[in-house]
Amino acid sequence: MSEWIAIGALALVAVGIPLGMMAASAILRPSVPEQGKSATYESGEIPTGSARVQFNIQYYMVALLFVVFDIETVLIFPWTVIYRSALSQGASLATVLLPMLVFIGVLVVGLVWAWRNGAVEWVKSPLAKRRKTERQDA
Amino acid sequence: MAGALALQSGPLPDWTAVSPALILALTGLLLFVIDSIDSDSDNTVLLAGLSTVGSLFAFGVAGWFLVEGTGQAATGGAISLYGDALVVDGMSLFFTLIFTIVAAMVCIASLDYVAEQRHQAEFFSLVLFAATGMTLMSMSNSLATAFISLELASLPSYALVAYLKDNRGSVEAALKYFLIGALSSAVFAFGISLVYAATGSLLLSDIASSLGDADGMTGILGMGVLMLLGGFAFKTASVPFHFWAPEAYEGAPAPISAFLSSASKAAGFAIAFRVFVEAFPLGQLPAGVDWVLAFQVLAVVTMTLGNFAAATQENVKRMLAYSSIGHAGYALIGLAALTAGGPNANVLGASMAHLLVYGFMNTGAFLFIALVEYWGVGTTFEDYNGLGARAPMACVAMSVFMFSLAGLPPFGGFFSKYVLFYSAIEAGFWWLAAVGAVNSALSLFYYSRVVKAMWIEDAAPTLELGSKPVGLYTAVIFAAVGTLLLLPAFQPVIETAQTVATALF
Repeated sequence: MSEWIAIGALALVAVGIPLGMMAASAILRPSVPEQGKSATYESGEIPTGSARVQFNIQYYMVALLFVVFDIETVLIFPWTVIYRSALSQGASLATVLLPMLVFIGVLVVGLVWAWRNGAVEWVKSPLAKRRKTERQDA
Repeated sequence: MAGALALQSGPLPDWTAVSPALILALTGLLLFVIDSIDSDSDNTVLLAGLSTVGSLFAFGVAGWFLVEGTGQAATGGAISLYGDALVVDGMSLFFTLIFTIVAAMVCIASLDYVAEQRHQAEFFSLVLFAATGMTLMSMSNSLATAFISLELASLPSYALVAYLKDNRGSVEAALKYFLIGALSSAVFAFGISLVYAATGSLLLSDIASSLGDADGMTGILGMGVLMLLGGFAFKTASVPFHFWAPEAYEGAPAPISAFLSSASKAAGFAIAFRVFVEAFPLGQLPAGVDWVLAFQVLAVVTMTLGNFAAATQENVKRMLAYSSIGHAGYALIGLAALTAGGPNANVLGASMAHLLVYGFMNTGAFLFIALVEYWGVGTTFEDYNGLGARAPMACVAMSVFMFSLAGLPPFGGFFSKYVLFYSAIEAGFWWLAAVGAVNSALSLFYYSRVVKAMWIEDAAPTLELGSKPVGLYTAVIFAAVGTLLLLPAFQPVIETAQTVATALF
């Protein structure tokens, strides 16, 4: 049971520090109420419209392509770490380099296909464009 | 373990044992390359032909391996690859035969079905990638590869169900399929983590050997096993994760319904057989992890629910969907009628042989639905009235599928069901066989409704069929011939199945 005390202490500190900071600043700071401070986004911009906006599907395509490269990187990293030592210990290029080339080759086929089929071309949504001009005209 | 492939042309390196999966994956990639070079390609004959040839090639290689005894006891036992993550043995090759032949029939049939659609190359490559995933499922020897290959088979399936993306039914079906698939994947992954927590390994053989040490963890292990079962129930469309099946099969393009209800279901069984038999062997289970009891309950509930629901349908495709749930119940007997020291290999082999025959007759039945959809005839039993007079050839084939699915004598389905029930009786589970036989008798009612509509009822005067599509006809006739030939050829099939099942125990 005793080893859990450290975890509990950590949790107490984790909760205590932000609460303490907020309490300290509440005591120290002067209180100047102002309307701008109660706006949702205190950025100087006045919010327009609701948050329920339809995003262009292209964001999704880009995110999907990102995942391809993301996973690729995750799998290449450990390979680069062992590459040199594996070669110096006598492993042949066919067992060290070739599988990675095949793996990247498969991904390249997928990327080329996605590119050729227009996944990275930024298509403008006619609906979004119309709405934008309507907003500007208004 | 590192036994070389003893083939006539001299031993091949071990990694070539996965070549059926490699061939399928390469064909899929080749279709991508073709589509990249000519992205507006609508040369359906080339695309469908290439994918059919690829599937048949993989079928041929798997069949050759099976005949030569690759991965079987005669040539040095199962071939383990990649740190035991994959294993090629008789069972994986047997199931590969089912996946590849169904994929080939689906690809030929899709020739006419997708001819008017956009994104044809994607259709065929997704079918091939799904088949690759299924082949890997039958080879998985660790829960990690089991999960990955299950996802590899599932993700293309979701996209394929949504292939008719301007059709509300297709998109709705895909969304339901995807959501239930995501849920059951989560359950499955959680189950894997619990089993790992209790046994400290993901490799099936290591799990089995550390079962005895899991004394204080029996509860966790039991929960984990139950959750794994949930994951497989989704893939095989069994209770309690069956309710996606009627929706997905009805909304999907009919060739895809054929693919999902035959190959995908068989893949779920392939992996369930291996995981439960290898990782949780009956003799060494701690008390309280009695998965056989769970499968007995599931088998009875699944076949009864499937058959009763099928009997109330008015839509033929939905009826077939529920009938495929019922058949999942029959195949579950393969895991439900196991006992420590019983004739387990016979039971499991009978279930595998039934899945092979089912692969032909059920694919054929769904492809006939595709044919009817192609003609634009309606979807209910009444709409099938008088089809027999207009398209006798296809309707004879459909009658063969219906009677074979019901298990009537002169067709392949008779022997496979008979041997399955007989082996259950032999193992001492006469009540499982009795429930199965009662359900079979009930199923004859709704299968014969289709036959009656086609041959006995008179056609509506407006019934007009279009042209006779070559691809669909070829696939339907091929499936019918397969169903018929599996009657005389059932002896070698069942012997092979039971031999390769013996290696698991």
